Amino acid sequence: MTAAIQKKICMLGGFSVGKTSLVKRYVESVFSEAYLTTVGVKIDKKSVTLGDRVVNLILWDLAGEDDMSSLRMSYLRGSAGYVLVADGTRPATLEMALSLRRRVEAEHGPLPFALLINKNDLREQWAISDGDLEELRRNGCWVRSSSARTGEGVEDAFMDLATRIVR
Amino acid sequence: MENLPTHVADRLQALTFGDRAVAYLYVDHALVLIDAGGQLGPYELGALRHGEPAVEQVAFLEGMLPLVESPYLLPSIEVAKGRVADLHFWSDEGGVWVVLLEVTTERDATRRLQQKAYDMTLLQEKEAAFNRRLEAANAALLATQRELEASRDALLLAHEELRAQSDELARWNKTLEERVAAQVGELERVNRLKRFLAPSIADLIVSSGDESILKRHRRDIAALFCDLRGFTAFSESAEPEEVSELLHDYHAALVPLIQSFEGTLDRFVGDGLMVFFNDPLPCPNPAERAVRLAVAMRDAVAALATAWRQRGHNIGFGVGVAQGFATLGEIGFEGRFDYSAVGTVVNTAARLSDAASNSQILVTSRVASAVGDLAELSNIGTLEIKGLSRPLTVSNVVALKFEEHQVIFLNRQTR
Repeated sequence: MTAAIQKKICMLGGFSVGKTSLVKRYVESVFSEAYLTTVGVKIDKKSVTLGDRVVNLILWDLAGEDDMSSLRMSYLRGSAGYVLVADGTRPATLEMALSLRRRVEAEHGPLPFALLINKNDLREQWAISDGDLEELRRNGCWVRSSSARTGEGVEDAFMDLATRIVR
Repeated sequence: MENLPTHVADRLQALTFGDRAVAYLYVDHALVLIDAGGQLGPYELGALRHGEPAVEQVAFLEGMLPLVESPYLLPSIEVAKGRVADLHFWSDEGGVWVVLLEVTTERDATRRLQQKAYDMTLLQEKEAAFNRRLEAANAALLATQRELEASRDALLLAHEELRAQSDELARWNKTLEERVAAQVGELERVNRLKRFLAPSIADLIVSSGDESILKRHRRDIAALFCDLRGFTAFSESAEPEEVSELLHDYHAALVPLIQSFEGTLDRFVGDGLMVFFNDPLPCPNPAERAVRLAVAMRDAVAALATAWRQRGHNIGFGVGVAQGFATLGEIGFEGRFDYSAVGTVVNTAARLSDAASNSQILVTSRVASAVGDLAELSNIGTLEIKGLSRPLTVSNVVALKFEEHQVIFLNRQTR
């Protein structure tokens, strides 16, 4: 077994899109209905095995973006990749996620990322169409639907991102 | 804290930091942890190993070292569960210092405010989304209402059209009933008239709509009577069915002839028939027509008589024709009318018929003079006629003079 390595991954997106819940689902395999906003950063750690290598993912769960507070780019220093999260029931959060991607790339250059359209368990309330997702894929985005409540798409997203980061 | 007494400096430090957990790390340029201190426990950093790589032991250092900017601040980092600190980085010749200054209380206060703001914003977003759905539903409802109104209008229009068609149908029915009633009445009149008129003449009278012609009046007519000789004896000896069959053949042969000569059939009485001409429709030369009919009848009955003789029945045929004024018109009562002629001329024709022997057509002198050019006549002499004060000069029509006349009437018969 090769020595373990560490990679920093930041969770980015608008407020209340489910970043903290996705991390909690991924790290602790639990989901809480209660919404508790994140201030600053919450750091978690998850070890995964990729081939013969153990990778410790240091997950920086950043406070959600809103109209009043802007992302502190200093938090992303040293990040190997990031997860953009949008809420399928709120189309404005997809615009915000794409805007964050542009700002991150402007500051830190192109980094591996995954775009998760979350809350797929509320699919009947979605305001983002399959056509929109297909358009993003055609533009080179790694995009999937996910649900922190059911766990759908969560493990795959982090594993895929980790694989691309370590590659 | 320079120039401050120790107890004042300590008091100020206590006021500034209070219960905050403060800790520090010192990492050399080889990223090895060379020192750490303060309150490391609350940050779950109590088991740090000096002299070993720092990043592997302190997760938040991943990606931060070597420091590219000094001093450097990462505010409000939840390093351990429920423990939030501002991370202050700066470097010196020996390495990088990191100070963890706890801000959990401040973070919690900020979070409470932010939570309320976000909850409010989410509520507003939900309200806006709900309003959008409500507006969409309202628009759909309005569209449906418009469609319903359009459907209702179309239905009303269809209903009006249907009612108009129904009214028109009712009018048609009424018209049809009236026409049927009129035609039935016409048919009844035609049928009534056909009893004594040639069908073509009956149709003509009905279509003219003028039946005043049938009112009682006087006119100069030619009357024809005919009957069978030996019929009474035959009917007494023969079976009723045989009598009926013979009469049927007899009438079937004569009635079409009467119609073809456009004679008015007054009555059947057993083997006796009365026909007259020039009424109700006038015709030229009524006597001539009557004689022509009589000859045709005689020929027809002669053909029948041959068959009758073969069955053993010796039956002959006699005709009487007279001309003169008679009173004509409908005779009878409601539901049972006949068109008939009354007068001496009728009696005379009847008496002549009675007087005629087999194959004779007895005519009065007036008739004889009217058909003198047409028919070959033989003078019979005078006959006493019951009801007449003077004897009558009577002739017998032997035959028609010109074959072509017969041909003409034969053609008319088959028309």
